Amino acid sequence: MSTPVQAHTLSNGLLVLTREVHSAPVTTSWIWYRVGSRNEPSGETGISHWVEHMLFKGTPSMPRGELDRLIARNGGVFNGFTWIDYTAYYETLPADRIELGLRIESDRMVNSLFDPAEVESERTVIISELEGYANYPETWLDEAVKAMAFTVHPYHHPVIGYKSDLLAITRDELYAYYHTFYTPNNAVLVLVGDFATDTLLQQVEQYFGPLPRGPALPAVRAVEPEPQGERRVTIRRPGPAQYVQIAYLAPDCRSPDFAPLAVLDAVLSGARSLSFMGGGAQTNRSARIYKALVETELAAAAWSTYAPTRDPFLFELSATVREGRDAATVEAALLTEIEKIQQDGVSPEELARVLKQVRAQIAYNNESVTDQALQIGMWEMLDSYRRVETLPQELAAVTAEDVRRVAQTYLTERRRVVGHFIPTEEQDDGA
Amino acid sequence: MAPESRGIAGATRYVAANGLVALIQRNPSAPTVSVRGEVQVGAVHETASQNGLAAFTGAALIRGAGERTFQQIVAETEERGCSVNAGGGLHTTGFAGKALVEDLPLILAILADMLARPTFPPHEVEKLRGQFLTALRESEQETSTQAWRAARALLYPSEHPYSRLTSGTIETVQALMREDLLRFHQLYHPAATTVAIVGDVEPEAVIATLESSLGAWPPVGPPPGLDLPPVPPLNAALRRDVPMSGKIQSDVVWAVHGLRRTDPDYYPAMMANMILGRLGIGGRLGENVREEQGMAYYCYSNLDADVGAGPWSAVAGVNPANVERAIEALLHEVARFVAEGPTEQEVSDARDYLTGSLVLSLETNDGIAAALLAIERFGLGLDFIERYPAIIGAVSGDQIANAARRYLSTERYVLAVAGPPAENS
Repeated sequence: MSTPVQAHTLSNGLLVLTREVHSAPVTTSWIWYRVGSRNEPSGETGISHWVEHMLFKGTPSMPRGELDRLIARNGGVFNGFTWIDYTAYYETLPADRIELGLRIESDRMVNSLFDPAEVESERTVIISELEGYANYPETWLDEAVKAMAFTVHPYHHPVIGYKSDLLAITRDELYAYYHTFYTPNNAVLVLVGDFATDTLLQQVEQYFGPLPRGPALPAVRAVEPEPQGERRVTIRRPGPAQYVQIAYLAPDCRSPDFAPLAVLDAVLSGARSLSFMGGGAQTNRSARIYKALVETELAAAAWSTYAPTRDPFLFELSATVREGRDAATVEAALLTEIEKIQQDGVSPEELARVLKQVRAQIAYNNESVTDQALQIGMWEMLDSYRRVETLPQELAAVTAEDVRRVAQTYLTERRRVVGHFIPTEEQDDGA
Repeated sequence: MAPESRGIAGATRYVAANGLVALIQRNPSAPTVSVRGEVQVGAVHETASQNGLAAFTGAALIRGAGERTFQQIVAETEERGCSVNAGGGLHTTGFAGKALVEDLPLILAILADMLARPTFPPHEVEKLRGQFLTALRESEQETSTQAWRAARALLYPSEHPYSRLTSGTIETVQALMREDLLRFHQLYHPAATTVAIVGDVEPEAVIATLESSLGAWPPVGPPPGLDLPPVPPLNAALRRDVPMSGKIQSDVVWAVHGLRRTDPDYYPAMMANMILGRLGIGGRLGENVREEQGMAYYCYSNLDADVGAGPWSAVAGVNPANVERAIEALLHEVARFVAEGPTEQEVSDARDYLTGSLVLSLETNDGIAAALLAIERFGLGLDFIERYPAIIGAVSGDQIANAARRYLSTERYVLAVAGPPAENS
């Protein structure tokens, strides 16, 4: 269906992944770094995300504002984001302008200024970002659940960081962190679109080839130990509704149990769009959780999530409780859905539906070069870009018995954290 | 011209016997198809006491249609990896479907039933009402919702539908009856409906499928018109503060009256808006409030030019301690733009962005379908994409400055702030 990905490695260790797609005169350039909140030491939470912001603040040859102007002038779009396992930047441009993406990313990989005045100005921008999230009750619940689910591993803390760390982190700490992780041998360049690979690779060599290889990276040593019992947390704050979030410690994407758990997630909530930018089909309304929680009028919304990660992360169940119902009832209903699968497994029809949905979501995703590059880069960060091509077969090989087994193995009482958000009374109605 | 642009110009425009307009574009790059459409009926057709009726009716279309129940609709589509949806907005009720190309007849049949033969089963209406009320309780406690509710109420007279939010209020949605939905649905009309179908399809075959689905929707009476009440001009700076306990950040909304999409000033005003608050990271507003002063994660402007003159607004999310400073900065940038107009460089940047990014917006089936719908809605003509660079190229810096002077003001505007109550320390 899609052309294969080609891999090339420069002498400084930069891995370059390319896929030619000639359906529209558009090319996307993504650079991925193996750094995220997972790599952050205590006292420096939020530093990966802050570094990402500083990469938009200028280099000697491209002062702040110039990057945005150049991309706009060339009819492009750009952004960057930081997640627990990786940080990525992209430019999507008319195909004949893609050299600009190479110029920007090769420059700011090593030449970002981290001007002290810009560091201070960005400190308050990021605190403003954090305060915006804190306006939502779900943020408070999610942070409490994750903090409780991880006692050893840095998945404990939010990507945005703690406000106390954001107030204290210094310019030199940011700069040192940047120099540690932003090296060609810790990066992957992904190019997808309307280009001739040989010609584009010459340009890649010209821009990225001269960059020096960096030293080996500090390893993340922490391994989250096997949980020894259910943990519970209740957040009480002003809010519009009760919320429930249940999180089970679950295997990373390299585990042989990843595919069965991904199928389990899709049986519960439908196979989701692969892109966080949207564009897929909505497939949750015929799935188990919607039928059991929303159709029965216990919850206004309910869903499961299970995302591929580098280290063991979480299989989660979430719900917004409807007026007149309570968190305990909704929690019990969510757990009943898990118990049903543990006891009775899933049907062949459900497995067939999940596979059809996965194939359709891949087809929708492939309409956009930006979305294709996102998948290729993300999988290379977590394991290997080849997973983009093998995943449909991995999922097709999952049996009903596999799904029942992983539900029994991982979705257990002792592996879970149960969180409730209960609104306090003093909320002003805002009228 | 890029091949896509010729593609849009070569789209098939088909008018069915019932007046429905279909725009069909072949895009063979993926085995998928997108359907996007709209009926020219929305919250502009509801009364203040029934605020939320258009949104509720639109969302209820899928809850039972033709011979199918809601559960059958989602089961039948989702097992194939397709989806269908509908929702009521301010001017239009939108509907959409996504499918692998072999499933296009299925989603067209279901969408036709949703538009022409919705059943609004009483228990499904109640189920949906419960979801709406929870979502409303959530949004009522969002600072941006409260700031926008206040800004719209200051900007438009209470009889004008732009003075309200399309979501309705807890009180109005609680009071809506199933009969209200049935009556509102009577306004839907094939001659007020456009559908765009884009994907790996043959236009002739799609037309044949349409004939038996949306094309067979019988028209009843004339299509609804739209008569928006007059809007008295602002004659002062109006401000409303909405205190909200339990919040950490405040949302600031500044706004004036904008213009219609078909207004001759539209292109200069749209480019003025790009320069003031969009290009790069929020144009001049983002440069001042975010980049220079570090006060906000987001600060940008928006020009809502549609069938009527919507708000021309600027928003920022800031710490409560910085609200007044942020307002000063917003007003300072508006005043400077009105006084000085854009620089040559800004005009050229905006032009290059608007023309250069066309190919990006036309990459996916959804993107092409959205462009086709806008072309039909505002009567722009299928050659619009080909003409667009010349239209943008012809807008001068003086025209942009004039548009800014005509609409933007630092003396007559509305301002709404929603967030934690001011501290008295």
